[in-house]
Amino acid sequence: MFWHSFITKTKHYGRAIWYENMKEWRIELTYKPDFIRGMIDPLVYAMPYLLYGIALVGGRTSETLKGLVGTDDLITFVTLGYIFVGFINMALWAMGWSLRKEQFWGTLESVFVAPVPRWVFALGMALHSTLHQGLMIFLQIIVINLIFKLTIAPSGILPSLLVVGLMLIALYGFGMMVASLTLIFKQGWLVSEALSGIMMIITPIAYPLAVLPLFMQKAAMFLPTTYGVMTVRHFLIGEQMGFTVWTAFSRLVVLGVVWVAVGIMIFEIIDRRTRRTGTISHY
Amino acid sequence: MNNAIEVKDVVKKFKRGKRLRKREIFAVDKASFDIREGELFGLLGPNGAGKTTLVRCIATLLIPNDGSIKILGKDIFEHSLYCRKQIGLLTSGERTLYWKLSARENLKFFAALYGLDNKERDKRIDYLIELLDLKDVQNERVEKYSSGMKQKISLARALMHDPKVLLLDEPTLGLDPQFSRFLRDFIKNTLNRKQKKTILLTTHYMDEADELCQRIAFINRGKIVDCKTPYEYKRDLPHSEVLDLRCTGIQNSDALLKRLKSINTVETVTLNTTDGITNVKMILPRAEPMLSDLIELIRQTGKILAIDVKQPTLEDVFIYVTGTRLTENTAEFTPQGEQN
Amino acid sequence: MSFKNDLRIVWAEFKKSVKIWISYPIMLVFWAIAPFMWVLPFIFQGKALVGGLSSAAFKELTGSPHYLPFVLIGAMVSTYIFSGLWGVGNSLREETYWGTLEYIIVSPTNPIVVLLGKTLAEFVYATVNVTMQALVATFFLGLDLTLAKIFPVFVIVLLLLIGFYGFAIAFAGFTLLIKEAHGWVHTLEWVFYLFSPIRYPVEVSTITKTLSAVIPLTYALVAIRGIILLNKNILHLGKTILILIIMDIILLITGYLTFRYLERKTKEAGTLAQY
Repeated sequence: MFWHSFITKTKHYGRAIWYENMKEWRIELTYKPDFIRGMIDPLVYAMPYLLYGIALVGGRTSETLKGLVGTDDLITFVTLGYIFVGFINMALWAMGWSLRKEQFWGTLESVFVAPVPRWVFALGMALHSTLHQGLMIFLQIIVINLIFKLTIAPSGILPSLLVVGLMLIALYGFGMMVASLTLIFKQGWLVSEALSGIMMIITPIAYPLAVLPLFMQKAAMFLPTTYGVMTVRHFLIGEQMGFTVWTAFSRLVVLGVVWVAVGIMIFEIIDRRTRRTGTISHY
Repeated sequence: MNNAIEVKDVVKKFKRGKRLRKREIFAVDKASFDIREGELFGLLGPNGAGKTTLVRCIATLLIPNDGSIKILGKDIFEHSLYCRKQIGLLTSGERTLYWKLSARENLKFFAALYGLDNKERDKRIDYLIELLDLKDVQNERVEKYSSGMKQKISLARALMHDPKVLLLDEPTLGLDPQFSRFLRDFIKNTLNRKQKKTILLTTHYMDEADELCQRIAFINRGKIVDCKTPYEYKRDLPHSEVLDLRCTGIQNSDALLKRLKSINTVETVTLNTTDGITNVKMILPRAEPMLSDLIELIRQTGKILAIDVKQPTLEDVFIYVTGTRLTENTAEFTPQGEQN
Repeated sequence: MSFKNDLRIVWAEFKKSVKIWISYPIMLVFWAIAPFMWVLPFIFQGKALVGGLSSAAFKELTGSPHYLPFVLIGAMVSTYIFSGLWGVGNSLREETYWGTLEYIIVSPTNPIVVLLGKTLAEFVYATVNVTMQALVATFFLGLDLTLAKIFPVFVIVLLLLIGFYGFAIAFAGFTLLIKEAHGWVHTLEWVFYLFSPIRYPVEVSTITKTLSAVIPLTYALVAIRGIILLNKNILHLGKTILILIIMDIILLITGYLTFRYLERKTKEAGTLAQY
């Protein structure tokens, strides 16, 4: 009896997650120019940082960078860092705006009245955001590799994926939090904009952690993206980190638990609040 | 027979206004009623009376401040998922579907949320598309449809999982007469009579409630004022005639209203003026002996255009019971979220 | 309609736009702070790659070894033009959301006049923002912005903006026809970031250098940086000013004509009130 109901439920929720993801793809693909533009944007986004780096040192290698992290190839260093901008955007914009979008379309109530727990819906948005971002990152790496020829250690790819996977769990928690916050703040985009601005400065994306002022370095220790970006670069281009791989893994696990718990809690609180104040259909 | 929906002492308050001028408004005030299985039950009241708020509470979209709601015997908050599985919700307004998807794609998505597997889903969608005559347009994007077509798809979505209970919130609002006609017939004959669904229908159209519903609860300013069958309402009205007068040139309508109210035999009077034409409606035991006096009274201030003596309709009963017209807007009681 | 009446409409529109902003005070704070959010990573990246605040390679490309003021100037000038592009370009779109666009088009006013009011408001708004940024840059980040330099810089900015607003007006027409123009503003932003020296010296690659020559912003930025960082006299920038004036004329005329054309197209297509 228990198993039967468990399997039925898993099937039901699994399908709901999958269809949520597919629905998002379908809607995105109805306006193709926007979709294509969205795919190209991150490429263009990383480029000024690479060219700026070249302009500063007059080539693609920097001795200062080598002294700081043990690798002098600024192009590979910055490109790998920029992948994580994609992940930050995923949590803060793609996932963070999914509920607001439904609210704007008028479909949020129809979705919330369906017999699935809210977290199923959240996982559906997480799945779609991850796949979408994954595709973007894949394109980004290919194109930058064509232009600049990146050099990475292939043996580092698998452990890197593991790190990214762990980091994503924490970011999903973050995304859930933002998604619910955008429902109650009239100018929710400011929340996303401010948070993404802060995360992009503190996460050592285009530079090593060591160049940040001390208070920012300390703050960076609470961001999953810090461990994500540094450990991935450690595996792929041998970045010297101030901590061991195991520290990075264990902290990512802790951050994952904390952020998901915080995300669910805030999601629940705001869900109750909007149902009390009657603002769920409001935009 | 068992109750499909039990609403007991439900209170829903909203805060309105800013900071210091914040005040609490009772959108729903101690509402109680039961709906029996298979019954088509109407909730009739003017705009802003609290109908939508109450439906949203029953649909688990709003949390009431007080009271309890049960669906098929289970509390909606303790058994939220179970209850959501039992209900299908249809609201008014066009923006409740994904406009960029086709009818079929919309239905497929919601089928997944309601836990239907592929086989079940396809069978069900085919059936609903056939039933609602959507075959020719099923693969076109929703944005290209007329309002009526969009409402059909929303209805198909509400029926997707073959729910026992349907919550229809002003389903014909804003639709053209021909389509409203179709929808009313469909609700009464197909959904209620044939499929035996329990239906809660909210409306501010009196004939809609009169025509469709087996029992009707009057709701006004958040309160359930009365709950009977349409026949009982009309039968129990102690005063059997309605006098309808249309006049122009009435300068001081307040004074006239006061004078009319002071006449002993007149039970209820409402008076409203639009575009210079004043409509006076009186409910009284017998109209004819009063006519000459009334004509004289009104002629002192204005000119009479038409006089009509009628049997009471449900709307007259509503006026008699609540003192409010169904076409009035009592929107001060609308929660913030419902003003769009 | 008389010219005087047109001016009254510009003024009314200006007042309306200002009133709407004042109801969002947080936006003002946002535009004053946000550009620094992306300046900081460039500063940190500079420190990581060259150690100090100056670079010989950078001097070869730009004439000045200091990358920090280079980036700061880019941030401020881009605030000016992008708030213009978002503000003017998207302003009609905003009116569609509010449901007020049809009433503007149906009134016996040339919509260009309404757009001019919006542009004027946008200009004042951007000036307030950039002034706040300049204060932060001068007092906290050590940008050398003396009063003597402000006037010539302002002349260049004005010349840049006139042409740019012409472009934004054309863009506003575009938003009438293509509803989801929001995304295209983003793309335009990135084209400017990539092919003009806002964030980095375009001279670093021949491709970017060649492409940047067709964007007026490039000339304006080189001139402004010349005045502030290399102490150039505005009188020596005659060629740049001439180029900017010619581009202004071209962009204003094509902007106007494009808008009128797209407005007519929209009316023919009957898609005005859609969103």
